[in-house]
Amino acid sequence: MIDVRQLTRHFDGTRALDDVSFQVHPGEIVALLGPNGAGKTTASRIIGGILAPSGGDVLVDGISVRKDANQVRARCGFVTDQPSLYERMPLRRYLGFFARLYDVAQPDVRAADLAKLLGLDDVIDRKLATFSRGMRQKVAIARALVHDPPVLLLDEPATALDPEMSQMLRGFIISLRARHRAILLTTHDLDEAQRIADRVVVLYKGKVLRIGATSDVRAAGRPSYTVAFAGDPAVARGALKRAGIDADSATARDGLTALRFAADDPAAVNPAALRALLDAGVRVVTLSAEERSLEDAYLSILAEARR
Amino acid sequence: MKWWLIAWREIRWEVFLDRTSLLRTGIFVVIPLFFVVSNRGIPQGPAGDLTLLGLALQSVFFPALSGVALIAATFSMEKENGTLVPLLAAPIRDFDIVLGKLVGMVVPVMVACVVTLAAAYGLAAYRYGVARVERVLTPELIYAVLVLSLLYLVTTGSVTMIVAARVKSSRAAQQVAGLVIALSAAVFAGLGFVASQLGEGWPLLALGVGLVLADVLALELARRVWQREEVIGRV
Repeated sequence: MIDVRQLTRHFDGTRALDDVSFQVHPGEIVALLGPNGAGKTTASRIIGGILAPSGGDVLVDGISVRKDANQVRARCGFVTDQPSLYERMPLRRYLGFFARLYDVAQPDVRAADLAKLLGLDDVIDRKLATFSRGMRQKVAIARALVHDPPVLLLDEPATALDPEMSQMLRGFIISLRARHRAILLTTHDLDEAQRIADRVVVLYKGKVLRIGATSDVRAAGRPSYTVAFAGDPAVARGALKRAGIDADSATARDGLTALRFAADDPAAVNPAALRALLDAGVRVVTLSAEERSLEDAYLSILAEARR
Repeated sequence: MKWWLIAWREIRWEVFLDRTSLLRTGIFVVIPLFFVVSNRGIPQGPAGDLTLLGLALQSVFFPALSGVALIAATFSMEKENGTLVPLLAAPIRDFDIVLGKLVGMVVPVMVACVVTLAAAYGLAAYRYGVARVERVLTPELIYAVLVLSLLYLVTTGSVTMIVAARVKSSRAAQQVAGLVIALSAAVFAGLGFVASQLGEGWPLLALGVGLVLADVLALELARRVWQREEVIGRV
């Protein structure tokens, strides 16, 4: 549905995107991650037909953004971190205005349907200036959905939303995936990306650093293990050190202490660690593989790139 | 006709609900009417006719000057508030956005120009005599003055939009608009003098045709310079 092909974009001599390629399929959420200035918003705007690429191309629903940007725009719904609404307009008129711009049949009916879908039907005749931050973001989402687009480009949609509203938004994005929309989610919220993204693309200085299924990206790198025990952590750490294993403190529960260590060859390292701890009189309760969060994986990918 | 959707939205929801712009336009409408009413007396003869013509020109161009500030304010505010991004993301041609914004500002200002001129005409007829005002302000002259004001608005509006698309803040756009207002006020003062010397409306209309060409050029320039690329790069 979204096919980004060797995309390049320059701004006044600066290369904002450099040979970026990835796809987003229908019924899939792909998270576009990266630090500030990585090129996420630029990529999102090029895909949405707002900016032209300097090199490469993007196909949206088979249409080249270079050849027919207007048709690409007609197939994309765009949500930015700022709702950016015409505050003097009431919701009904606002959505009706955008429905007409997108050539929606029965624009007023569509406006009313969307307001109902997002739980804004009781304020449909109120001016947007009176809306709360969460309500405004809902309006921005309604605006993006007004023409029922097959592609959604969500650029930091949950910024400044309270947890309840963020959860609602997450649920709504997932429901759109179930309706076979191709969704590109640009975000700094790695927890959100971990929860809902099927795949992630990590950008850094305009280049793709990593691309893959969220679970694969999380699992990549040196696997780490956590040992939980009752006893003196200094003794345990010393025992592991003598076995050639460097360990860090880890979060523990139920009154236990925990240490974390990385192991390239867990079949050899883990029994050695266990033996060393038991020999030192440490009462080991559990030794378990640690599930890396997307945040951990992302930070290690970035650290690797910076090295 | 998407440009008309944009234009109508501007007129209905921005111009008529913006108290500041309404107040500003109101002031620009009242000032020339005050000049008509407060004039102590206009002598008979060419000098008096010249004064009448000057008052008519003021009645049209004062409200038109407010239009330049209006165009600069709305466009740059839209950039500052980020409301331009959803518009740029919609399947609309760049030219439709430019034209829609321009028409949305020009139409209400032209209405203000026509209303002010009509009021000035009525007040002048009441104060200085219907026959005299009819003789000086012929239908051709009134038509020419209105066409000129429209052309002025389109030209300066296009230029102001180009500038507003390229500058970062509404303050900068307003400063440029102020410069455009000052320069054009000087130009129209000269134009009024020339028209009064010629004493006919049609030569003034011929000058207007020249402005049409300037208009076409300004609009084409606006279309070329005002591109999504330029604007989004500065949003």
